[in-house]
Amino acid sequence: MNSSDKRGAYGGNAPAGGDTAFRKQWDRAEYEERAREQEKKQKEEGKARYEAALQGKKYHRRASTPPDARDTEARSSRLDVASMVGKTMLVPAGAAVGKRGKGAGFYCGECDLTFKDNIQYIEHLNSRQHLIATGQSGEVKRATADEVRQRLLWLKRKREEESKEQVVDLGARLEVAKEVEEREREEKRRKRNEKRRKTKDGLGHAEIKLENDGIIC
Amino acid sequence: MYSHKADAKALLDDRGYSGALIRGQNPALLIEKAVRDRITESYYWKEQCFGLNAATLCDRAIELTFVGGTYGGMGKPTPFLCLVFKLLQLVPEKDVILEYLNFGGDGDGGEEEEENGNGVGEHQRSAQRGEFKYLRALAAFYIRLAWEPVEIYQTLEPLLSDYRKLKRRTRDGFTLTYMDQFVDDLLTKDRMCATSLWKLPSRANLEDLEMLDPRISPLGDEIDELDAEDVDMEKRDRPQDSEDDVREVRNGSAVKYSGSGSEKD
Repeated sequence: MNSSDKRGAYGGNAPAGGDTAFRKQWDRAEYEERAREQEKKQKEEGKARYEAALQGKKYHRRASTPPDARDTEARSSRLDVASMVGKTMLVPAGAAVGKRGKGAGFYCGECDLTFKDNIQYIEHLNSRQHLIATGQSGEVKRATADEVRQRLLWLKRKREEESKEQVVDLGARLEVAKEVEEREREEKRRKRNEKRRKTKDGLGHAEIKLENDGIIC
Repeated sequence: MYSHKADAKALLDDRGYSGALIRGQNPALLIEKAVRDRITESYYWKEQCFGLNAATLCDRAIELTFVGGTYGGMGKPTPFLCLVFKLLQLVPEKDVILEYLNFGGDGDGGEEEEENGNGVGEHQRSAQRGEFKYLRALAAFYIRLAWEPVEIYQTLEPLLSDYRKLKRRTRDGFTLTYMDQFVDDLLTKDRMCATSLWKLPSRANLEDLEMLDPRISPLGDEIDELDAEDVDMEKRDRPQDSEDDVREVRNGSAVKYSGSGSEKD
C-alpha cells in the first residue's frame, strides 16, 4: 500500500498525520525555549541563594516588580479631608464593622477599604498594599541638579504670575469681590431651579420647619 | 542609584541600612531619636513628605513660612525640621544643595557672577542670590549637618551678608531672626532647631592647620579702625594711672558695645 491511497479504518481519507492526527501537535522549538528559560531562572536563584548563605542571610524569593509599574510621585496637592464635612451619605447597614467595603469614613476606592480617621487613611495611602494596588513601584526617581534648577525656575515663574493677579487697588478689589458674589448667587439660583424641576408639580420641595431648628439645646 | 524609596522605612532600619552614609554613619542619626520619632509620626511628614525627591522638595520648601525645631506642649516638629529630615534621607548631590542655596532666579546669571566676584563684592552678590529664603535656610542647615568642616565654612560664610528676616517658631510663639544670625548660630552654637549639631572644629583651628584662609570681613577696613579707636581710648586713659578710672572707662566701652549690638539686632 503506498501513501497516496492511505485510507482510514472507517473509509474516507485519513488526515495528513495518519490515524494519530487527533493528538496534540507539540511545537518543539517553543518548548525548548521555555525549558532553557526555566533552567536559567533556577540557576540564577540557586546562585542568589548561595550568595545569601555566604553572607549569613536567608534567601527570600520575591515576586518581581511588574514591568508596567510606574514610579511613585509626591502628592501634588494637599489631601482634602474636609470635603465631606456636613454631607449626608447612605451606607450599608453592615458597614460599621471592620474596614472592608464602603462605609462611613475615608474610602479608598482601589483597595475597597474604609478608614475612620485621616491618620489611618494617609498611612494606608503610603502603604505597600495601596501602592501595589495602584500600580506604583514605591520607588521615587532621583532628581538631578538640572531638574532641580528647572523646577525652581518654574516655581519662580508661577509665583510671579500669581502675584500679578493680586490687585492692590481698593476699587478694583471691590469690583472683583462683586463679580465673585454674583457668580455664586447665579450658581445657587441654578441649583434651586434644577431641584424644582426634579419634583413632579414643579413647585419644589415643601420646606419642613421644625421648632428650634438648628439649635442644640 | 537612580531611585530611592518613597518612605523612610529603609532609613529607619537600624540594622539593615544600606544607603548613603554621612561621616560613616546613618544620616538619620544626626537627628535625635526622640525628635526623629516625632517627625515620622507627624501628619506633615506622612502627608507632605511622602515620595518627595530633590526637585519636588522645592515645592514644599518654598511654602515654608518659618524655621524652627519643635513647638507646642507635645513638641510637634515644624515643617522645616521635617524637610531637613527628608534631605537627610535623600542625601542629594553637592550641586543640588548648592542650587538650593544659591538659586539666582535668572536663567544664566549665576556663572557670570562667580567669575568676576571675589572678596567683598562676592559677599554682596551672594547675598542677593537665594531667591527663596526659607529654602536657603534649609540648605544651610543641611550643609551644617552633612558636609565637611572646610566646606561648611566656605559655603556658609558668604551667607553672613544676607540680612533678610526669618521667622523662627519657638516652643510657645514666634520670634524674629535674620539669615546672617541664623547662619552664625549654625557655625557657632552646638544646638539648634531641636537638633544637637555635631562638634565643628573652630575656624581658628582650621586656619592654624592651613586648611582655611583667614576670613575677609565684608566690613573691610572699618574693623581695623574700630580696633584702633579702642587702643587710642585706652592709651589716652592710661597716663592718669588711676585704676578706678580705667575700670570705669572699660565698663563704659563694654556698655557702649552691648548697646550697639542690641541696636543692630
